[in-house]
Amino acid sequence: MSSAVAVMSRGEQSSATLVEMCSVRLGKTLFGVPIKHILEIVGGARPQPVPLAPSYVGGLVHYRGDVLTTVSLRHLLDMPPRDGPQDILVLESAGGCFGLLVDSVGEVLTVSSADHEPNPSILDERRRGLFAGAYKLKDSLLVMLDPERLDPIRLEAMRRGAGQAV
Amino acid sequence: MAMDELTREFLIESQEGLDRMERCLTELEERPEDAGLIGDIFRSVHTIKGTTGFLGFKRLEKLAHSGENLLGMLREGKLRADGPITTGLLQLMDGLRSILKTIEIQDSEGDGEDTVLIERLEELQAPVKAKQVCAGASPADKPAPAATVPYGSWQQQVAGIPPADTLAEALKATPVPAVQQKAVEKFPDKPAGETDGAAAKVRTPNVGTAAESTLRVDVTLLNRMMNLVGELVLTRNQVLQATAADPNLTLLSRRLDMVTADLRESVMKARMQPVSNIFSKMPRIVRDLSQSLGRKVCLQMEGQETELDKSLLEAIKDPLTHAVRNSLDHGIEPPEVRIAAGKDPEGTLRLRAVQEGSHVVIEVCDDGAGIAVEKVRQKAVERGLITADRAGQMAERELLQLVFLPGFSTAAAVTNVSGRGVGMDVVRTNVEKIGGKVEIDSHAGEGTTLRLRIPLTLAIIPALIVRSLTQSFALPQGALSELVHIPGEQAAASIEWMEGAPLYRLRGKLLPLVFLDRLLMPEGVHKACTERDNFIAVLNADGRQFGLVVDGLADPEEIVVKPLSTVLKNIGLYSGATVLGNADLALILDPGAIASRAGVSVSAQVQKGRGAEQETEAETAKNLEYLLVEVADRQAAVPLADVLRIEQLKVSRIEYIGYRPVLNFEGQLLPIEDSGGVLAAVASNPEAQIIIVVCREGSRQVGIAVSHVLDVAAGGDLFEAGTSARAGGVTLLKNRVTGVVDLGGVPPLPVDETAPASWNQYAEGVAEAVR
Repeated sequence: MSSAVAVMSRGEQSSATLVEMCSVRLGKTLFGVPIKHILEIVGGARPQPVPLAPSYVGGLVHYRGDVLTTVSLRHLLDMPPRDGPQDILVLESAGGCFGLLVDSVGEVLTVSSADHEPNPSILDERRRGLFAGAYKLKDSLLVMLDPERLDPIRLEAMRRGAGQAV
Repeated sequence: MAMDELTREFLIESQEGLDRMERCLTELEERPEDAGLIGDIFRSVHTIKGTTGFLGFKRLEKLAHSGENLLGMLREGKLRADGPITTGLLQLMDGLRSILKTIEIQDSEGDGEDTVLIERLEELQAPVKAKQVCAGASPADKPAPAATVPYGSWQQQVAGIPPADTLAEALKATPVPAVQQKAVEKFPDKPAGETDGAAAKVRTPNVGTAAESTLRVDVTLLNRMMNLVGELVLTRNQVLQATAADPNLTLLSRRLDMVTADLRESVMKARMQPVSNIFSKMPRIVRDLSQSLGRKVCLQMEGQETELDKSLLEAIKDPLTHAVRNSLDHGIEPPEVRIAAGKDPEGTLRLRAVQEGSHVVIEVCDDGAGIAVEKVRQKAVERGLITADRAGQMAERELLQLVFLPGFSTAAAVTNVSGRGVGMDVVRTNVEKIGGKVEIDSHAGEGTTLRLRIPLTLAIIPALIVRSLTQSFALPQGALSELVHIPGEQAAASIEWMEGAPLYRLRGKLLPLVFLDRLLMPEGVHKACTERDNFIAVLNADGRQFGLVVDGLADPEEIVVKPLSTVLKNIGLYSGATVLGNADLALILDPGAIASRAGVSVSAQVQKGRGAEQETEAETAKNLEYLLVEVADRQAAVPLADVLRIEQLKVSRIEYIGYRPVLNFEGQLLPIEDSGGVLAAVASNPEAQIIIVVCREGSRQVGIAVSHVLDVAAGGDLFEAGTSARAGGVTLLKNRVTGVVDLGGVPPLPVDETAPASWNQYAEGVAEAVR
């Protein structure tokens, strides 16, 4: 696969750059988080629930001497919560660090920015707010997750905005 | 070496200043016209002069003063920094260094003379004379002679080494060698006959100078270290659990345990700073403010060496300044008013810091007008903070708390009549933000005392781990006053419901209850309190008392507070999170926020019965609460207000100074009172457990050895038959005449006579200056 990408990139050298994405499968969809935003991947975590916290908060985990707030990807995608240990992608955004709670982390894929397309307009509004477009892989799509969009502070603002609208 | 903090800091700063001066002087040789360099040198000397005057080092001040004059002329361009002048300045630097060194070694300037050096500096100021000297020195070539000599040798001279030949030669046209001779003589602790360089070096204090042994460290680095140490503590706890079964590793893990504990203590200590860092700003504030307000104020400061975590010190700077301003503005009256009231025209403002267990108490105490409680009552009603009805029932002490309410402080009109109260809510908010408490005590016409209770460190606090919703939560000990256990079968009888509001009768008073599980999961289905164990944690938050009901209790633990992300902070019930010894995470509950969320308020809680009860307490101190203890088969009472902690420990932890039992308690020595012979009874068995009631007695703490702690009860007064004289030393507890333990009677431990009283002297000196 890497050779294919290399060929591709050589062909479109003028505009395309290569991006390494950490892949995460949840349900039927393959998601990707740019590796440069990932500080660390913590495996087998059991976050501590926080009563009265906004529902997208997956709980707290202990991370390098600090307490890290996690965001549950399952909850964001309206999927039922899962028992048992989960993997956490420690992400850095403008608002600080937070954890993204996923079922399990897959392999690292290298994609070309030339294959990126923005969110389709038929996607529901909330998901449009969460995803940052998708990369066309050979036989599937890699939905890009942007840490800035998943930052709890932004999610909170989104939730409040939605609450007011309703 | 006993030396107060201010002097030590002065030494460090001065030495840094002199180092800078030395560097500048070297460059000055090359660029004698550089005004920036001269300015730098001037500032170094000026700073030393300014501070010495403050600390009362007259000799140093005199020398720095003459140097400053010379530098002043250089700065104004009246003189040119030629060779002799640079030399003179270097001599000045050495002279200052040697006096600083003497101060460091013997905490005084020594009684040497600097007249020759001062004369020399004055000579250099007179341009005509300077020219002559210049002419005399010119054969020695330019750049000035000093520059040809390595600076190290200048320092050696100060350390008592005869001047280097080259230097002596170079300077022989000037009277300088005589000064150098003086410099040698100035070393009073140098034994006669010891003249060779090596020996002189050995003579210098082996600890290194204050400047060498201290290092300025970035606070963020310290924070990071603190974090990592917290991490290490947790890892250690896990290692300890994992290796408990393996005898080969026990020794190793125990060692890890010890090293970790020591490391943690050291890092915490590194963050401690004396409160003098903020106290030292106060004389100036008091001076300026008393002048502008036309007050006469004598400022007294005590306990400046008391140490506090740096971040906490920063956090209380503003509240404390505010409190001091308030005392001057609204507390202490103008002299004429004071004279009319029959008081000393000069008011007294006392700042006092003292460590009490894991807290530091800072008192701001004035002898001013005090707070007119009636006016507070009136204003509170006017402003709609309380109803007139309730205002009539409130006790003085409760009314005083009203000045902390936000609404109370906003209007200037309120301030003018009430006497105090500007921004008191800000003071309280700031102090409570860091886990502290504010208490106010005032008597109209006599003065006001504001007490700030600050935890020693912010990062690590003692907490009780409670369980609810199958999760652990940490409850800060500071807010916790007692625990009550109600098993399920008793719950129906003990917990009373008033139209859906749960209440518990705590010694006859109704205590509002808050069920933690219901509060945290309002929609969830919860077990009725009759089907499970109930633990009521009686909490005091912002003057509100309530009981928090949890399902279980774990051990108290010293927890490392970790901040929460904004989103979780916004929930408003948690002040942080922590990692427990078993590696579980626990949220730290904020008692004040819980009270607010559950609707427990000061006003709602002031019930008729309670108000009346407090009134009597405030007026006659009749119904004091006592801790009922058993001391060798007899019952005795300890005033509950004085009890800080009850510790159960092995008798082997008690040590003896002579025949006096003492306990090394949280790093401090606690004298133990054992008039009942409790210790003697179990002394033969080092494993035996004893109970020590740690009490506050004035500014110190004492421990009382007791056999059992029985109960808490309100004591009644006893009167001698036929008289109305209250009998002292006894109280009526549970209808039994019970002796009250005389805490004041516990003799103090021998005092270290050698400890310097310089702080008090300093404070008095400042007070003088303020006058």
